[in-house]
Amino acid sequence: MNKGKIVSVSGPLVTAEGMEHANIQDICRVGDLGLIGEIIEMRGSIASIQVYEETSMVGPGEPVETTGEALSVELAPGIMSQMFDGIQRPLDTFLKRAESNYLSRGVSIEPLDREKKWTFTPSVTVGTKVTTGDVIGHVQETPVVDHKIMVPVGVEGTVTDVKTGDFNITETIYTLDTEEGKKEFTMTQKWPVRRGRPTARKLNPTTPLKTGQRVIDTLFPVAKGGSAAVPGPFGAGKTVVQHQIAKYADVDIVVYVGCGERGNEMTDVINEFPELIDPNTGESIMARTILIANTSNMPVAAREASIYTGITIAEYFRDMGYSVAIMADSTSRWAEALREMSGRLEEMPGDEGYPAYLGSRLAEFYERAGKVITLGNEGREGSITAIGAVSPPGGDTSEPVTQNTLRVAKVFWGLDAGLSRKRHFPAINWLDSYSLYVNEMTAHIGETLGVDWNKMVTRSSSLLQDEAELQEIVQLVGAESLSEKDRLKLVVARMIREDYLQQNAFDDVDSTTSIQKQYEMLHTILTFEEEAKKGMELGAYFDEIIQGTVDIRERIGRGKFLPENEIAQFEDMRSSIQETIHQVVEKGGMDTDA
Amino acid sequence: MAHKIGVVGDKDSILPFKMLGFDVFYASEAKEARKMVDHLAKNEYGIIYLTETLGEKIPDTIRRYDSKIQPAVILIPNHTGSLNIGKKRIQDNVEKAVGQNIL
Repeated sequence: MNKGKIVSVSGPLVTAEGMEHANIQDICRVGDLGLIGEIIEMRGSIASIQVYEETSMVGPGEPVETTGEALSVELAPGIMSQMFDGIQRPLDTFLKRAESNYLSRGVSIEPLDREKKWTFTPSVTVGTKVTTGDVIGHVQETPVVDHKIMVPVGVEGTVTDVKTGDFNITETIYTLDTEEGKKEFTMTQKWPVRRGRPTARKLNPTTPLKTGQRVIDTLFPVAKGGSAAVPGPFGAGKTVVQHQIAKYADVDIVVYVGCGERGNEMTDVINEFPELIDPNTGESIMARTILIANTSNMPVAAREASIYTGITIAEYFRDMGYSVAIMADSTSRWAEALREMSGRLEEMPGDEGYPAYLGSRLAEFYERAGKVITLGNEGREGSITAIGAVSPPGGDTSEPVTQNTLRVAKVFWGLDAGLSRKRHFPAINWLDSYSLYVNEMTAHIGETLGVDWNKMVTRSSSLLQDEAELQEIVQLVGAESLSEKDRLKLVVARMIREDYLQQNAFDDVDSTTSIQKQYEMLHTILTFEEEAKKGMELGAYFDEIIQGTVDIRERIGRGKFLPENEIAQFEDMRSSIQETIHQVVEKGGMDTDA
Repeated sequence: MAHKIGVVGDKDSILPFKMLGFDVFYASEAKEARKMVDHLAKNEYGIIYLTETLGEKIPDTIRRYDSKIQPAVILIPNHTGSLNIGKKRIQDNVEKAVGQNIL
């Protein structure tokens, strides 16, 4: 193997000479310690290497060895429920090997357990012709994940041998007769992280991703295969929104990339997720989750890789025909890693020092999301939903990372520091946020429920918008100046805000809400509006209605804490709304002869 | 735009208004009065004169129309004499408008 020599070291950037044999994106072992790095720039025989580990005590003159391989992830059974660092080193094995809570350097660890035996059941017989993406057999990796062993990309041939039984991931399990002769295959595939895995074709996303979060599912739904951005200032609840979706979304696999955020947030995940039961499968949430952690104190260059590692793993499971959600928390830290590398490379900076290619890099990531027909004869349908948190400094969304993200993401959940200060969580601002999927998704939900969901959603958002306008008038001249109709609007909008949109992530019941219950809740609130309006037409005064309905409104407010199996009570509530308002009208109002 | 003027109260007090060409409506109880005022307001009466005795019984209704441009609900004394509510309301309104009681 050819060796180069280090010329200079600047933080995570190492330049080495004598590297003319190497190619860009090659993985190198840098220095006497053998740190892992990737070539990101070549000028003649000088290579700039981004090192994924801490570079202190590395100096000029030390050797650099290239491996001739691009940064790749290993894809095989054993990947589920694991926690990896940015370059797919399993952190629990790392802990044992390094005997330290912190990363030590130059440690080379196999990404996946080589020893563990998996029970492999083939689904093809000898003589079958297979192509890229065809399923050779199954491994039940966790109770909920059926890991399909697929023919790697670019391989085609006839099965000449296939085994059954318990194997580890390096043992041969099938042999193909290809054009280049017989080839043996194991369960393992390798894939370079910076290249998207190929698919047969892309589809338009049509089904909603049900997150169990009312404000998201009702007002700003995201499609399976869509992309969403969650920008918000510190403490507004980006991470909680991401965690909630990771916990309750109706997807098969979740890849959670903790990128440059606090280590404690990953600790939360590790502590909470195993205890949580997925309502769709009845198994632990962890059985369908893969974590990738590059916390704020871990090497900055590996942060850049962590996003790619995550999305490549997601693509692998998408190819099996699963719907996958990938959470990236936060893409701003990732962009800052890009900025740091770009600065050290002395590239011409763009806006706020971010490299000029920030936009295209972000697009590259989000464009790997989507709903697709996978390769292979079966034509499986899989999807990746990408949800990226963005932490704009000072909460100012006009900064480059947010703006570039918004160009590619179709859903914008703008978190609002004002709302979070008022303890309104999730603090998704209903005026600023948008979803470009809203028409298709509400139509889809309406069809499944058999109701005019679209009309209810439109009514709710127009109430919320009217409220904002009316609030301005109220602040100028006081609530008395409003007509009774407008005052009713304010009351109903407040009910939508407080009794519907506000959702407690730490309450056992309120943490997630099924679409059916969301419909019942919203229907009840809108029924109240309808009935109150009718009452007012019949001559009841606004004040009388408000005083007369205190109890029932309180009941509606507690509706979110009703367990899923008691949603029949909403029907009950609606009839008692009618009754109460009738009573109010009878007591004071005048009859229809007016 | 022309508006009608209505008078609501007990028969003895408001009958003379008929001579002036106002529409008069009799009411002696709170509920009746409330219905009548709401009814007139709906039917585009611009000014509604209401006797103080009745007005005293339906403060909610009067407050309701306070914030509206029309109708103007104006309290008048009845034949037994003034309760001074009407006058006080005028003074209050003047004070609100000018910032000082100039009457």
